[in-house]
Amino acid sequence: MQFSVIQRILGLMLVAFSFTTLPAMLVSLIYTDGELIALFHSFAITLITGLVLWLPVKNRRRELRPRDGFMIVVLFWTTLGIFGALPFILAHEPHLSLTNALFESISGLTTTGSTVLSGIDSLPKSILYYRQQLQWLGGMGIVVLALAIMPMLGIGGMQLYRAETPGPMKDTRLTPRITETAKALWYIYLTLTIACAIGYWVAGMNVFDAIAHSYATVSIGGFSTHDASLGFYTHNPSIEIVAIIFMILSGANFALHFTAWRRRNLAHYFADSEFKTYLVLLFVISAITCVYLYSQHIVTHLNQAVLHGIFQSVSIATTTGFTTRGYHTWPSFLPALLMFSSFVGACAGSTGGGMKTIRFLLMIKQGTREVVRMIHPNSVVTLKLDGKPLPDHVISAVWGFFSAYIATFSIILLLLMMTGLDQVSAFSATAAAINNLGPGLNSVAANYAGITDGAKWILIFAMLIGRLELLSLLVMFTPSFWRR
Amino acid sequence: MRYAAVSRILGIFLILHSFGLIPPLLISLDVGDGQYMDFIIPFCITLGIGSLIWLVFRKARHELRRREGFLIVAAFWLVLSAFSALPLMFGGHLDFVDAFFEATSAFTTTGSTVMSGLDHTAKSVRFYRSELQWLGGRGLIVLAVAVLPLLGVGGMQLVRAETPGPFKDEKLTPRIAHSAQHFWVIYIGLTLACIIGYVLSGMPLFDAVAHSFSTLSTGGFSTHDASIGYYHSLPIEIVTEIFMFLGAFNFSIHFLVFRRLNFGYYVRNPEILAFSLIVAASVLLVAVVLYFEQTYASFFTALRNSAFTTISVITSTGYTTENFSVWPVMIPAFLMFISFVGGCSGSTAGGMKVIRVMLLFKQGYRELLQLIHPAMVRPVKIAGRPISTAATMGIWGFFAWYVAVFVIAMLLLMLGGMDQVTAFSAVTTCINNMGPGLGKVAVNFQQIDDYQKIILSLCMLIGRLEVFTLLVLLSPGFWKN
Repeated sequence: MQFSVIQRILGLMLVAFSFTTLPAMLVSLIYTDGELIALFHSFAITLITGLVLWLPVKNRRRELRPRDGFMIVVLFWTTLGIFGALPFILAHEPHLSLTNALFESISGLTTTGSTVLSGIDSLPKSILYYRQQLQWLGGMGIVVLALAIMPMLGIGGMQLYRAETPGPMKDTRLTPRITETAKALWYIYLTLTIACAIGYWVAGMNVFDAIAHSYATVSIGGFSTHDASLGFYTHNPSIEIVAIIFMILSGANFALHFTAWRRRNLAHYFADSEFKTYLVLLFVISAITCVYLYSQHIVTHLNQAVLHGIFQSVSIATTTGFTTRGYHTWPSFLPALLMFSSFVGACAGSTGGGMKTIRFLLMIKQGTREVVRMIHPNSVVTLKLDGKPLPDHVISAVWGFFSAYIATFSIILLLLMMTGLDQVSAFSATAAAINNLGPGLNSVAANYAGITDGAKWILIFAMLIGRLELLSLLVMFTPSFWRR
Repeated sequence: MRYAAVSRILGIFLILHSFGLIPPLLISLDVGDGQYMDFIIPFCITLGIGSLIWLVFRKARHELRRREGFLIVAAFWLVLSAFSALPLMFGGHLDFVDAFFEATSAFTTTGSTVMSGLDHTAKSVRFYRSELQWLGGRGLIVLAVAVLPLLGVGGMQLVRAETPGPFKDEKLTPRIAHSAQHFWVIYIGLTLACIIGYVLSGMPLFDAVAHSFSTLSTGGFSTHDASIGYYHSLPIEIVTEIFMFLGAFNFSIHFLVFRRLNFGYYVRNPEILAFSLIVAASVLLVAVVLYFEQTYASFFTALRNSAFTTISVITSTGYTTENFSVWPVMIPAFLMFISFVGGCSGSTAGGMKVIRVMLLFKQGYRELLQLIHPAMVRPVKIAGRPISTAATMGIWGFFAWYVAVFVIAMLLLMLGGMDQVTAFSAVTTCINNMGPGLGKVAVNFQQIDDYQKIILSLCMLIGRLEVFTLLVLLSPGFWKN
């Protein structure tokens, strides 16, 4: 482990992160909401800590190896999560406890969207903006992480994408490629955000809400500036439509957007099996939801049923977590169906959470192959994705990921029940956290204020573990990670 | 597909199965409960249909291949469950869905029941339910030890090497018949030992026989509504625990131990070792939580109840002494989760089987190490033997299908109006062939509707058929020539 290099990078990240408080300070100035000092203190603390870390080792430039990669990825989310919590602690409003502030901050950065806050509408504008921006920054980190770093580290079968991303590559040299890829992705991310903000504004949101919600939409986060989430705008269906479009776009692989951008051509979206599967799944879940909502007279008007059905399905299945009507109050199997759909989640290389559509697709293919193998035990069937054969080690990595996911899910669920949560709340809270979704069912449907501090810490861990694709965090618990 | 050969075997199964109705018939005549006609009619129907099928196809003595193997296995459980429902319809006064649910639950050694007031039910019917479980367990041993490994269901080809004797993929029959005899001797021996144990610890003979039937088969039907809790007797609980535990061992290991009279085989078997560790850890965890949540005053009582319930759940038996669905915090959910582990492969227990869980863990850990050392080549091993990729892939596939079936069944139950906790536990308990659930199905399955009962009956069959057997039948490639 090259600790000094890691320290250098961490210092740099903190310095860069500290500057993200500046826009929030600007908002505070515009609205004169009195949180300027608190934000400035957060800025100063983060900047100084960053400099203190960075300056002593600023000349240590060495190539990073996979282990350092894991360390940096984990530290990125934990450290920034901690420093991101400062404004929530220091501000007059909401003035959260350490646990609550950290929960809110991690939930933001991991683009989960679970909140401990209520009375959001009356919070200072700068804090509201800051919350939304946290998600946006987290989303940006994820895109870079998912497309540039994870494939290098080969987490859960994601080495699959190694060949996809353009440019030369050598397993041990992470840095140069990451910067190059990151830059391109950043432009796409920014463009999507601006387009989304304009879309919201045209659809009738005010400028502040439009920007704030575009942050949470493009990052698949789901924070809102209103307690009622997008339900605040139920009188305006065009806002829901804008949200649906941008949730679907942000849930797609950014490498696809990248290629589309480069070649000015949309055709390859539909040549990509993951994207196709993603659309089919969204369609099926939306269709089931709409039909059930309408046929059971839960929503009386057909167009309303279709709009709400699609909106809620897309929001949950892409792991965004916006809500319009309390879907947790929908009868029968709908809440559970949507919860389960969040396990599949969005595409790899997107800002979404869950296990990722590509893994789901590979598991279906492999599962079907196993059935065929039962009948013809001597048959040799090679799995293919988009015409390319898949090596066995990629498939086992996906399986390893899947079983670790289920195991972690079960353990966290049981731990939450230990803190006194009922089974349905615990089930949904775990799913919402580990899939980086946001709202749960029962006692965690509206917000997470009512659960114990212990439960919050467990969920913080769950959000991180979900965001870090599980294995990059679990790997730190193996002894050989720390061995030289 | 050689349908004639399959039909012939099915006919033989039905004929043999009809003789299973004779013991309860004799009991009925002996105690004079007036239910004898309820057994004579089903006996005639089963024997008649069986003989008819056999007579028509008796010349079709073809060798069976893999495909026929799958069909026979599925037909064995489905058809015999359906025929077993007849006496319950006549004697237990259940409608067809209830009777089918009860019979499937018995024959798959699940132990979920729609009957209550058992203490006042005719002795012959009570005996019949337990006997069905025993017969199911007997069929299961052959299935689990001999058939499924041969077919390679869900990675189970890896236990293939364990079973002695030569083998050729294309010839199923002789080997199965050969192993069956050996394992049945052990099964019967253990059942007798269990009866003696029960009698010595103070159970009446009738109850002892009935309970030993459902203990060794890890079924869990009781002759009392209160299950084993009826006796309030520590010795009886201990006997039950021992034999549930033994019933969840791989019967080929029992076979080795009895043949060579060497108990070392138990200790040297990695699966049994892992199983024992999981059981010990779970018992302790549940006991500690029960004690600290002050459900029971003394640690000893907590341990006693925890040991019984945990062993009963993890071996997928489903006997109860206490209503564990009202135990505090996460214990009910925890018990449901560990029932997924189940017993050892080649046992009468349900669940995913310890060996698969072990391999999932080993493989998962290997993937972690692979992340740190990308160039590492290290096959997963059990007891020093490397596991083939085909077997590990089979196990991953099994796990994924298991989870998928679980999720779909749970959503279908909720579609029928069931609440989430009940649906979760009902599917868990049925697919793992365990028995009791939580919420509305904690005591029995009377409160659910026919639609839900049918789904749950299917879950029991799917669990018993190790998911793949049924999936294979549903795949179009299977029926193509």
